[in-house]
Amino acid sequence: MWFEWLFKYPRHVFAQGEWAFTGDLGTWWWILAAALLAVSIVFARRLARWRLSRRVPLHVLQAAAVAVILVLLAGPALEVQRLAPGVNTVAVLVDTSKSMVLPARAAAGIAAGQPESRIAIAKRLVEEWIAPGVGAPVALFQFSDELQRATATDVLVAAGDRSRLVDALTNLAANYDQGALAAVVALTDGARNGGDGTDLDALGAAGVPIHLVGIGPSAIAGDVELAELTMPRSAPPNTQVTARLVIRAAAREGADVRVRVRDGPSVIAVETIRVGRATPVLAEDIAFPSGAAGLKEITVELEAPAHDPLPGNNTRTRLLDVATAEYHVLYLEGEPRWEFKFIRRAVAEDDEINLATWLRTTPRKTYRQGVADADDLAGGFPDSLEALYGYHLVILGSLPATVLDDEQHEWLESFVAERGGSVLVLAGRNALTDGGWDVKPLARALPVVLQRSADDAPTYAAGDYGAQPTEAGLASALIDIGGDSLDERERSWATLPMLADYQRLGELKAAATTYLQVQGSVRVVGGEQPAVVVRGGSAQPLLVAQPYGFGQTAVLATASTWRWRMRTPPDDVRHSLFWRQLIRHLAGAALPRQRLSVVASDDELAVRVALRNARFEPTAEAAVTARITAPNGESFDTSLPRLAGENAFGKTLAPGAPGIYRVQVSASAAGELRAQDNDFETLARVGAENLEDFAAALNEPLLRRIAEATGGQVWNPDDLAGLADAIAYGGAGVQELERLPLWDAPFLYLLLVLLKCAEWSLRRYWGGI
Amino acid sequence: MAKQGVHAAWSLAAALVCGAAHGDGALAGDDLTVFVPTRIEYESVGGIGEAYYGYDGRIWERWETDFPQAEQNFAKRLTELTAVIASRQPARRKLTHPALGDSPFIFMSDVGYMRLSQAEMTALRTYLENGGFLWVDDFWGDAEWASFERAMAGVLPGRRWRTLPIEHPIFHTVFDIDVMPQIPARDFAYYGTSEPPGVHRFPQGSLSTPSIRAYTDDDGRLMAIATHNTDIADGWERESYGEWYFEEFSTKSYRLGINVVVYALSH
Repeated sequence: MWFEWLFKYPRHVFAQGEWAFTGDLGTWWWILAAALLAVSIVFARRLARWRLSRRVPLHVLQAAAVAVILVLLAGPALEVQRLAPGVNTVAVLVDTSKSMVLPARAAAGIAAGQPESRIAIAKRLVEEWIAPGVGAPVALFQFSDELQRATATDVLVAAGDRSRLVDALTNLAANYDQGALAAVVALTDGARNGGDGTDLDALGAAGVPIHLVGIGPSAIAGDVELAELTMPRSAPPNTQVTARLVIRAAAREGADVRVRVRDGPSVIAVETIRVGRATPVLAEDIAFPSGAAGLKEITVELEAPAHDPLPGNNTRTRLLDVATAEYHVLYLEGEPRWEFKFIRRAVAEDDEINLATWLRTTPRKTYRQGVADADDLAGGFPDSLEALYGYHLVILGSLPATVLDDEQHEWLESFVAERGGSVLVLAGRNALTDGGWDVKPLARALPVVLQRSADDAPTYAAGDYGAQPTEAGLASALIDIGGDSLDERERSWATLPMLADYQRLGELKAAATTYLQVQGSVRVVGGEQPAVVVRGGSAQPLLVAQPYGFGQTAVLATASTWRWRMRTPPDDVRHSLFWRQLIRHLAGAALPRQRLSVVASDDELAVRVALRNARFEPTAEAAVTARITAPNGESFDTSLPRLAGENAFGKTLAPGAPGIYRVQVSASAAGELRAQDNDFETLARVGAENLEDFAAALNEPLLRRIAEATGGQVWNPDDLAGLADAIAYGGAGVQELERLPLWDAPFLYLLLVLLKCAEWSLRRYWGGI
Repeated sequence: MAKQGVHAAWSLAAALVCGAAHGDGALAGDDLTVFVPTRIEYESVGGIGEAYYGYDGRIWERWETDFPQAEQNFAKRLTELTAVIASRQPARRKLTHPALGDSPFIFMSDVGYMRLSQAEMTALRTYLENGGFLWVDDFWGDAEWASFERAMAGVLPGRRWRTLPIEHPIFHTVFDIDVMPQIPARDFAYYGTSEPPGVHRFPQGSLSTPSIRAYTDDDGRLMAIATHNTDIADGWERESYGEWYFEEFSTKSYRLGINVVVYALSH
């Protein structure tokens, strides 16, 4: 306010404008300037008796005062670009999502305590301030899920199920063709919950300033909200499933909130969580039983505290596929050793891991365990590519590469690259380089370079090593052996017994990720008095993995994790957890033979099925049908044709009422598909949750980011006084040049008075008047 | 008191004799990348002829019967005949040794007079529950079995020994064994050997039927086996006694020993 009084125009006008002079700088101006110069010279002579240190300040002040007078006489002005009248439009967007019916704070003209909805404030501001005051015709729009033109504020009803603010603004800025767009004014609470866009750079590139009027409180007093619910999409039957809840509470004081987990109508878990001022955002895990196999709708709800103003944001639901997964794992071991025994023992209690092992007990004898029948693995290695592709994960122990023939080595590499399976290589006397694997095709797929040393010394050695997770390891489920927090996870690893061996790995490949590392000494195996090699303090990779082709490979550079079992109490499950987690993760990453995806929206159900045969080649010819079961139990069958140009089958259907739909697919292809790959199903939700009840407070940070990206401003609904000028001088739309005179700006006269007063004061002080 | 003094003296003598041969309880070079035969030291009740016996010019404690020659020979044959890499330096440990877990396979011999302290029973229980494998050998007759069974009762209370049929995988892991071998005791190894009568005690009850009896866990996995009425380790120890002994007994001992070790390493 003071700026405009002092300088006559708002700050942004000065920021945009350029200085100019409108006066006549002709003869009279030069005569006056010469006269003032002469007076100054005479005056200077009168001051000759003064010391130089006193004369200089006085001359400077006098010269400055003369300069101000000359500037005033020259007619100072600002040249600015402003909207050309009659050719520009200002687009006004009003948020009509459901959250706009919530109460807003008291605004200008509304008595405090009197409830007024956000949409009512928006409509009033449009009618009373924006439409009459922005200096250009207004084009009115409304947005929630989509952007729509509105004829008048009367038709604006806040009933949209979701908000897509950025998408609406981007759409408008890019596609408005009804004239020159000078600016966009959006009145919104900033909620964006409908899969909104995030590319603000594109919005800024449109070149239209966006002014945002933020309506609504920054926090809803007394509200307790289930802000996020994260849980696995699938789980084995009769196991514990852990869901992570993020609770946002705007409680004035501490309160207990009961959390209920329901499977359909049945309550399956209850827990009480304390929320309050000290914990406005709280992350909590809650465990519940997965129960029997089946597709389930799991609901987590917070029991609404008394006077919760927004109980609709206390509940979220997720779909859970409770099914018995089958991980088929083949373990080839060339040497009976403890690691083999304890890996088998670790996964024995996991019903979902089918571990088939082939153990070379003597140079000519093998021992098979976990095989399907007497013929399975009778030759040691799967006898066909199809049989090998039946596994999800292959583990290679201390097995000389010469055990396999060239074709089997090629199969192993294509198992990863083409089939999308996983291979895990363990350390050992005959593993990796020491086993001759460096010259085999699988070496291309491994995450480390297999390279022999100059003296061909063994890379496998005994020694004491402590395993420790890397940052990537701590963040990954691959090596999760327990611990809720980062500290607890680190402690779980730090308290494990030492490993007793290590295999030196070559250079990591570019795509490799290290999950575990070791530090310690190496004692070379062999001889009565093994030499001790101290490796300094640098960490060495222990568990490394990388994607390769459609699959992935991993190397575990030890074979003594069995110590984690034998040197801990019997109830310590970390060894078992490690192996089960590692095997599940690697085997679970293998490509499935069939993929069913269902993308549901409000009015569409897009079903897509991809099938592969036993050699994992796409199945192009198949009869595929889908049975769609609606929430009310009614079902219908439909065939899924092959999609043009794709190795997939699918169809987009029009569902009826919103709710959970079950999609069951049956496929058949003559001789192509295995029986167990023919039938599969999933659930899909049509229609969103009550999104508008979530994140319903004013999202001012988002509004500021949009304004900064586009050159606009965020406005308080109580003060829109500067909005018209901000639009007029915003630089967008069709502009015209305007000169704004400054000869009567108070600051110039104040400056003149200040200069003369300063001169007078110095003279007075030095006694020279 | 006098008995304790005798006991201490024998223990010291045994330690001096054995310690020079195979270290002081540590695994061979602490190299856990190989299979290390590990003999368990335990206490036996009784005096001379019971807890101790004289043989081959010295006094032996029961636990050290056939040690270390049996393990050394067995480790050599194990490495020669199978893909197992075994240490030729056997280890010996007490059940209460803090690093007992570094030996997932332990061997006990001549357990007819064995007694276990509460600490040993607890340690052995933990060891077996973790997946460790115990092989007990060289005890004879019903009386020694009963004594051994009593000693083990406190280790895994409630579990019962069961005799493994010849169809059990442990008889077929590497070699197909169709008859449970009975390796010399005084009743068998006369011809062509230097086995003096009376080396083994005169047990009571039936001696004629050798068997493997086992403790299994809740999932049916073998935790401990006892080769009763036979002395498998003798077949390893005395392989050089003569061609007849080697062919008649040592080959059978090695076949069963290899089967048991490979079974323990794979189950």
